[in-house]
Amino acid sequence: MADEDVDYLEREVNIFRPSTPFMRDNLRMMFILFGLWILFVFGPVIASYFAPEAMTETRVLGGFPLNFFLTAMVAPGAALVLAGVYARYRDHLDRVYGVSHDSPEDQR
Amino acid sequence: MIESIPMVLAYQTALDPGFKWFPALTVILMMVIFLGVGWFFRVAEVDDLWVAGRSIGPLENGMAIGANWMSAASYLGVAALIATLGYYGLAYVVGWTAGYFILLIFMASQFRRFGKYTAPDFIGDRFYSSKARGLAAATTLIIAFVYAIGQGSGMGLMAQYILGISYEAGVILFMGVTIGYVALSGMLGATKNMTVQYVILILAFMVGLYAVGWTQGWSTFFPYLEIGPQMAELIDEVDRHFAEPFANGSFYLWCALAVSLILGTCGLPHVLVRFYTVDNERTARWSTVWGLLFICLLYWGTAAYAVFGGLLYTNPVQDTDTAVTLGEAATFMSMPGADADALVALTAQLADLPDWLVGIVASGAVAAALATTAGLFISASSAAAHDIYTNLYKADATQREQLNVGRGTILAIGIVVTIVALNPPALIGELVAMSFAIAACVFFPVFFLGLWWENATREGALAGMITGMVISVGAILNTTLPRYIDALDGHALWPGLAQVLPPTSSALIGVPLVFAVIIVVSRFTDDPPQEVKRIVRQCHSPQPEVRAEPTEES
Repeated sequence: MADEDVDYLEREVNIFRPSTPFMRDNLRMMFILFGLWILFVFGPVIASYFAPEAMTETRVLGGFPLNFFLTAMVAPGAALVLAGVYARYRDHLDRVYGVSHDSPEDQR
Repeated sequence: MIESIPMVLAYQTALDPGFKWFPALTVILMMVIFLGVGWFFRVAEVDDLWVAGRSIGPLENGMAIGANWMSAASYLGVAALIATLGYYGLAYVVGWTAGYFILLIFMASQFRRFGKYTAPDFIGDRFYSSKARGLAAATTLIIAFVYAIGQGSGMGLMAQYILGISYEAGVILFMGVTIGYVALSGMLGATKNMTVQYVILILAFMVGLYAVGWTQGWSTFFPYLEIGPQMAELIDEVDRHFAEPFANGSFYLWCALAVSLILGTCGLPHVLVRFYTVDNERTARWSTVWGLLFICLLYWGTAAYAVFGGLLYTNPVQDTDTAVTLGEAATFMSMPGADADALVALTAQLADLPDWLVGIVASGAVAAALATTAGLFISASSAAAHDIYTNLYKADATQREQLNVGRGTILAIGIVVTIVALNPPALIGELVAMSFAIAACVFFPVFFLGLWWENATREGALAGMITGMVISVGAILNTTLPRYIDALDGHALWPGLAQVLPPTSSALIGVPLVFAVIIVVSRFTDDPPQEVKRIVRQCHSPQPEVRAEPTEES
């Protein structure tokens, strides 16, 4: 149970100014994963824009043009993996901050 | 679609016409299962109609997310768009999968924490305004309407193959069944049903893909990754535009479309409602992850279908004429819209698979369309009954009255959708993308700022939602209206605007503008009341919920 004395109902909510340790930890992870997500989701199309030759002429797995493979297969897969990583991290945060998922009535 | 009208006279579709017993029985059996499951878990209380008593686990809810999400647009539309637009079509694959990550990290837990039934409920409470709630309800109805048109279109195309009836008769028949089904069962039935529907639709989709791969000797165990040689053949020998990055849409259009679909994912009311059907935030998060996995299973296959379909459309195994073999289209990439939207089933048929197998693939499309339309109609009926009728018009409405208003809405919206779907203004995937653009421009900014900035005010939200509505609906009318009233040869009212703000992709420009409007107006208006700020803080607190008021009693 970290920071038991934080009164969460008195701290401002602003995504760029996290006011509690819980929000700070959560937001740090969110922005790291968000950055990776941008890289995987928009990386292939940006690379195709700047290096169309290299992206289409390079063939992987027996014939996939690289741009096609990265966009159709890797981008959705990366979003899935990152989602799993975040969900696990939140479970970890919940343990650190002692969040219980029982209904409030059972708590008391 | 419009350009293909003269061609339709000469060439109808490569889909095999005529009534087929086994496929027809498959669809009937499917409907009986759905209605049976719906009846078994039928609605008793008005609360159950909307949130299913919050007793669903992550795996089950993940499947429901998948079924709710994957409509005819995913099942039929995405493969069609990849086949006809090549790399540009992949913006749909990315846009309709990757958005779940954003939904998960920024919104799922907080939304569940907020503890409101529906999108309009959330907006009404967060922005302490029944006007905002009414506006959100109206937007929900518009989104459900645009989204469902594409579903009607997909059902009509599949009915052509399965029942051998005309497209129009198919639309009317299947929409009728959908309306009856939703009005009878409600959401408790629907959640159980969605699990069943997901299993049916993913199996049907996979069976077709594996069977085509096996019979043509193209793939064995893992078609997603084995289609490299076929793809190389398609690009090098049939049409090299297939993989050329910006042959069918510029870099800007690609990004604008992907961003619109991603943000639309985070603003769709019928998607968000799935977070209220679970016990707690942890279940909400993990069901998003499971849901995304179940969605990816289908989306990874769409490219394989486009490749198989492209090759078979060029050289059918079965003795069928396609637009390419008849010389009506230069390559598969210029096939008529009706063939493109039926390509998933058509691929199985052109590979000369037996009728019953093609029938299963076609039935899967019907299941996909039905599951999503059910979810949409439930969102629409709750918006009308809960947020418009009870909230704005008659505060003391009884449960019976609310149920009746909800059912009346389903019937009314179903009829209008059927009429428009008889002559759809665009491809299935494009129609659905338009409703995503509306969701992204109107809902995403107020959801996001509502949860992440406690000082967003009522006035800011109203101004932002109206701006978003003008931008997204304006972009749609700009291109579709001339086609409907038959003016300007079907060109956009303002062609320059259509280049910058395409109807499917208005959010890349629209969303930042709406954010700016909300932030500026909020700065110049009085801060939200202290209770509202406390509710927002509650959403970001790791401590157990302290409910000021229990969820609305109606």
